[in-house]
Amino acid sequence: MLRNLRRTSQSVFLLIFLYLFLQTESKGANDIGYPVKVFLDADPLLWLTTLLATRSPERILSLALIVIIATILLGRVFCGWGCPLGALNDLAGSLGRPRRKPFGWFTLKYLILIFLVAASVFTLQAAGFLDPLSLTIRSLALAIYPAFSHAASALFDMLLAAQIPMLTDASEAVYGLLKKTLLPFRPPQFHQALFLGAVFLGILGLNLVERRFWCRYLCPLGALLGLLSSRALLKRSVSEGCDGCGACAASCPGGARPEMKDGWSVRECVACMNCDDLCPQGAVRFGFSTKKAAALDLGRRRVVASLAAGAMVVPLVRITPLAKAGAADPALIRPPGALPENDFLRRCVKCGECMKVCLTGGLQPALLEGGVEGLWTPLLVPRIGYCEYRCTLCGQVCPTGAIAKLGLEEKAKVKIGLAMIDPGRCLPYAHGTPCIVCEEVCPTPKKAIWLEEAMAGMNDGKAVAVKRPHVDLDLCIGCGICETQCPVLGRPAIAVTSLGETRSKDNRLLLR
Amino acid sequence: MNRREFLKSAAVAGTVLTVPSAVALLAGRLEAAVRPDLCVVRGKVPAASVRAALDGIGGIRRFVARGDIVVVKPNIGWDRLPEYAATTNPELVAAVVRLCIDAGAKKVKVFDHPVSDARRTYRQSGIAEAAAAAGAEVSFTDDRKFREMKIGGETLKSWPLYTEAVEADKLINIPIAKVHGTSRLTLGMKNLMGVMGGWRGRIHQRIDGSLVDLAAFVNPSLVIIDAVRILTANGPQGGDLADVKRLDTIVVCADQVAADAYGAMLFGLKPADLGCVRLGQQAGLGTANLEKLNIRKIDL
Repeated sequence: MLRNLRRTSQSVFLLIFLYLFLQTESKGANDIGYPVKVFLDADPLLWLTTLLATRSPERILSLALIVIIATILLGRVFCGWGCPLGALNDLAGSLGRPRRKPFGWFTLKYLILIFLVAASVFTLQAAGFLDPLSLTIRSLALAIYPAFSHAASALFDMLLAAQIPMLTDASEAVYGLLKKTLLPFRPPQFHQALFLGAVFLGILGLNLVERRFWCRYLCPLGALLGLLSSRALLKRSVSEGCDGCGACAASCPGGARPEMKDGWSVRECVACMNCDDLCPQGAVRFGFSTKKAAALDLGRRRVVASLAAGAMVVPLVRITPLAKAGAADPALIRPPGALPENDFLRRCVKCGECMKVCLTGGLQPALLEGGVEGLWTPLLVPRIGYCEYRCTLCGQVCPTGAIAKLGLEEKAKVKIGLAMIDPGRCLPYAHGTPCIVCEEVCPTPKKAIWLEEAMAGMNDGKAVAVKRPHVDLDLCIGCGICETQCPVLGRPAIAVTSLGETRSKDNRLLLR
Repeated sequence: MNRREFLKSAAVAGTVLTVPSAVALLAGRLEAAVRPDLCVVRGKVPAASVRAALDGIGGIRRFVARGDIVVVKPNIGWDRLPEYAATTNPELVAAVVRLCIDAGAKKVKVFDHPVSDARRTYRQSGIAEAAAAAGAEVSFTDDRKFREMKIGGETLKSWPLYTEAVEADKLINIPIAKVHGTSRLTLGMKNLMGVMGGWRGRIHQRIDGSLVDLAAFVNPSLVIIDAVRILTANGPQGGDLADVKRLDTIVVCADQVAADAYGAMLFGLKPADLGCVRLGQQAGLGTANLEKLNIRKIDL
């Protein structure tokens, strides 16, 4: 009974999560219209590490407090009843029965947590790599959902091309319906999709090695909630009726050793209530008590090592020449409203929401353009997609304020970079051929690209009149539409770099 | 009745019966001869203006027959609000949709293949909402519905075009009048680029010839130029209200070259200043000779 209740709750949370994921897409309005980042807002690990890394007290009040209080009172109910990755793990686990004995590496996740928290104290936001919500959204947005979209389109395109009577009509009707509901407006394509997808599917696959492998041994959020649940009031008790049959042990997703009766590990219990439901003797029940749980022993050396590793990793990832003005990767074009790089990195949790919502698909996960620390943070790749002049969605969905939420007027003033022309490749400069695409598409109210009438010499000795584009350094905001649309494919004849971005005091060109 | 009598009465009856249809035919010819080729209406309400303009050139039924599938092709190319004059006036689009439906069109489709993100342009331009409310089927273009077509023009040999635009019974082109970097202005012929797929940026290398070939191939039944507001600088995208001029004018014409030629005059240019008008006239697509046209001007 309780088990079905729990499964219903998991399904409801997972469906809400997926629904909000699908809604993280523009409908053409200025505002996104749904609380799409609410799961991330309620994430205690992201809350804690961002608070520590940024030391910004305005972030104290958060939905995460609700999860924290719920955990203090009821234990890891979030893991068992609400976490979407937990639900996916349970689903994946139901596909097969693991044969081997549990590894019992429970301490690992606490050490990971200690490492991440220590790093955040020294201003490194690394929790986003392993936080289950961030990880799930990122993996879905950048890999799983694009793969689904691609597969669906390929299938329906094939059916359309085959023109099988009846079947093609039916498939087209289904495709039309899917386009309106589950499929994205434009096919998403991301760098590193294979890697991100493989990691995620690997995590789900580990359930076949051991159920909820991720939750038991790796999840830093699970570890944090485990620590908070040490004194939870909702406790399991086993009556005299227990005959030690061990039915509960096999059904425990957290590996909390329920067969040990009072010696079970409260921190590993995800309050799934399987043991209560399945006990043939009806000897297990969950009720409220203030009995104290046994202390957690991680081993002092391991704790010190994790702390030291968390502290040491910070200078190690930061001794990179990329931090030097002028040596930064010019391709590191951050979304509009992104904070100055140091502050940005302290906040960005690599959840991928901004990349999911980006209208043009231009926001891509960084590899090493921003250093190791910047892995999977968003950067604009104008050859793939530009920043739409009147769109502010990335700032609206960012859960930590790494990308500030901008109004339309503010957005219009933010420079994310600067376009420059390569006269060796530009048609009117190098080849006497008319083209004004960059000027045509330039979106600033007074165009940042202006045309100079000139004569271009040709092979036959004659000269032809052309209009040559120039970039107005004051007006250009670096949106990149010129680069996206430049008909000189491959290496474009006009390209944006981060030079001149508003958010940096150093990355400037002109004395202004 | 003998044969002579029969022939006599048959001849009389035949003559009597023929006269009315001959009169009607004559009247029709006469009307066509005096019927304006181009109608310009000034008025505050776009819906009223376009109705008057169409009545001025013979009514919508001259262009839309009962049961037709009609494509109404506005400019939905940019992510701007209507007052920025980068996209066709939504009230005008809705009014044309209603007129087509009233004339018995089976279906009226509205779409464009925009430069900016289509979700935003459809919404922010106000066109999607207005056209759908007027009864049109508003859709985003579907990549699968562009098909490489043999255009066989002098410049444009073949290009992927939107099948729904080409296969419709009638296409009504409703551009907004704006300035533009290479073609100087964007009017009717330039607006037809919205049915092109592929990498359209290349078109700009030989824009005028390409536009004429495209216009000849797409061959819209009617051009309605939206000059309610025109964009006089920083086009075609605009973004500064100071560049917008309110003319409250609508131009209606079935001749694509004449329509654009008249559009040029709205900006104080000569028809020949536009390359596509010049080439269009040369290619026999229409006439740029406005003096030879019967133009009716109406002030509402």
